[in-house]
Amino acid sequence: MVQYNSDSRELAIKVVYYGPALSGKTTNLQALFQKIDARVRGRLMTLDTKDDRTLFFDMMPVFFKTRAGVKVKLKLYTVPGQVMHESTRRIVLQGTDAIAFVADSRRSEAAATLAYWNNMLKNLEANGLDVRTLPIVLQMNKRDLPDAREEGELADLRQVIEPPVVPAVAIRGDGVVETLYLLLKLCYRSLDRNLALEAKWNISEREFLERIFSHVDLQGTSVRPPGAPGP
Amino acid sequence: MTLPPSVLQQRIPLGDLLDLKAFADVCHSFAELYRVGLKVFDEASNKLVDVKVGNADFCGYIWSKPSGREQCMATVARVRSDPIGDEPGPTAFPCFSGCRYVVQPVLYEGDVIGRVVFGPYVPDDLVALPASLTSISADFDARLADGYAEKIRRVPEGTAEKILKHFMDLLDVMVFTGHKNLITARLHIEAVQESYRELQEKNRALEDSFAKLKELDRLKSNFLATMSHELRTPLTSVIGYSEMMLEGLGGPLTAEQREYLGIIMEKGENLLQLITSILDISKIEAGRIRLVLSEVDPGQLMRDAIATVLPLARKKGLKVACEPGHLPRLHCDREKVRQCLVNLCTNAVKFTPAGGSVTVSAEPATGDRLAIRVADNGIGIADELLARVFDVFFQIDGSSTREYGGAGLGLAIVKSFAEAHGGEVQVSSKVGAGSIFSLVLPLRPTLPAPALTPSAPFPALGG
Repeated sequence: MVQYNSDSRELAIKVVYYGPALSGKTTNLQALFQKIDARVRGRLMTLDTKDDRTLFFDMMPVFFKTRAGVKVKLKLYTVPGQVMHESTRRIVLQGTDAIAFVADSRRSEAAATLAYWNNMLKNLEANGLDVRTLPIVLQMNKRDLPDAREEGELADLRQVIEPPVVPAVAIRGDGVVETLYLLLKLCYRSLDRNLALEAKWNISEREFLERIFSHVDLQGTSVRPPGAPGP
Repeated sequence: MTLPPSVLQQRIPLGDLLDLKAFADVCHSFAELYRVGLKVFDEASNKLVDVKVGNADFCGYIWSKPSGREQCMATVARVRSDPIGDEPGPTAFPCFSGCRYVVQPVLYEGDVIGRVVFGPYVPDDLVALPASLTSISADFDARLADGYAEKIRRVPEGTAEKILKHFMDLLDVMVFTGHKNLITARLHIEAVQESYRELQEKNRALEDSFAKLKELDRLKSNFLATMSHELRTPLTSVIGYSEMMLEGLGGPLTAEQREYLGIIMEKGENLLQLITSILDISKIEAGRIRLVLSEVDPGQLMRDAIATVLPLARKKGLKVACEPGHLPRLHCDREKVRQCLVNLCTNAVKFTPAGGSVTVSAEPATGDRLAIRVADNGIGIADELLARVFDVFFQIDGSSTREYGGAGLGLAIVKSFAEAHGGEVQVSSKVGAGSIFSLVLPLRPTLPAPALTPSAPFPALGG
């Protein structure tokens, strides 16, 4: 759950990138690290092994202060994708406020994706989290690969699943900002329902998103610069 | 189930992110280089490091005056805990002595986790010791104090800020590295704990279901034992009365009646055998099997077994051979080994079509053992099923319309009896070419005490 401290007026929000091994979770965070202004983010911490696959996870903080003086700290995490790190996945998922599920669009990966989706449901339950109320965005990554599911199939997917679907090519940075934007929008709404962010903390959805995305390089994304009407 | 809070959910104090001893070394070396004192406090104003350079005499002299001591403590308290905001820039704190401190918050991930106090140093623009110092007591020796103050480094404002910035950059890397190491180590432990907890949970579930299964199995064995016993009693009467009628005790019989009674008796005997097998198995499973050991001639056992199946084999048109050769004597339970051989021979006859042959032979095996072989050239058994033929109630053809009858107990009994002797049954087979079953028994079984009943006049296998 979101950690908030009304004495120090602090809000700590946890966002987790979940998905099978090699689906592009770390790539998402690396792209965001490049695009977010260093003044509002910390270092990207990667706890990894010698090869290029994530052993434990990655973590990157993003922080800002609202007009009303509330300090908001977003922490972006990835979970380890390898099957053997089940317990680490469960620990990282603890107290999460929003999830970006990063899936490999290729048809050959459909079974692994489904298995990890079910694995996530199980781990959410173990952490006392409710998938029905948790903000989740499904990122269909690797759209550029030959075996990727076609647009029509994504449209079909949108018909049958609850979370919104965002297409992406994270390695090129495509769709990465869009995913985070949509996720934080949902996340704000869910936090507002639970904590009355607007009424009690004086943080509007617009300000919340503006504080973050005015420090993000939006070039080439479909996210409008702050101040302009949103997508 | 909810997990205990992870290190990822906790705010970690500055002191835990650094190796304080090593950090103090770095601070000393840094302070030596720039010849300015350095203090580091955590968020709760606990002092983590305190390096004094050059100011010991000066401050010591001030401390010797009661008013000086009081004001010094107040200054130190201010640099230690006065609010300085959370902007990553320095705040200057003048000391009443004319010296100066600069203080900067230690920021990590947007949080203030401590502060660095740089100083005291003598500001570049200080011309003479201020009145706030010289007036602390009537006997204040300004010349002496001046001399002491010379030992403190004189630093221009811009330089002080640069030095501090340099230190903050170093500290930032140290904190980041420390945080990374701490999370790696703690998360590793948490992951292991979590895996352990999960395994324990699974183990408990497995143990529960294992206990349930064992109980069910025991109930089944009990049921079988009771039922076969109950079935045998009336069956004995059926056979007994049929026999009495055949002997003419109920009056003269026609040829047809005699034939029918013969069939009733024969089928009754079959049924009795079957029920006895079930009783044996349930005894074996309930662990109530007892051996009655004696010296036995294996050749005799082999001939007995062949004799038992001979009528059936002749009826089917099979050739039967017994090649006992010259064999050592066997220390075993005669009745059980005989039953093993009968079971093996019965199977061989059952699964060998007309014109085939069944051969019983024996030879010494390794480790002071004797192998008695029952070979046939019948239908054989497929490789993948070989391992299962010794399972209780297992039938290769399990359908209700199968060609070969039987309860699937014969081989299971052979295996159990062989193992009770400390021996084993081996099988090799080829589909269409036949099977060879070998009953391998130690010449003198060494058995755990409870399974052994010395050769005794009373039957150990009750029922």
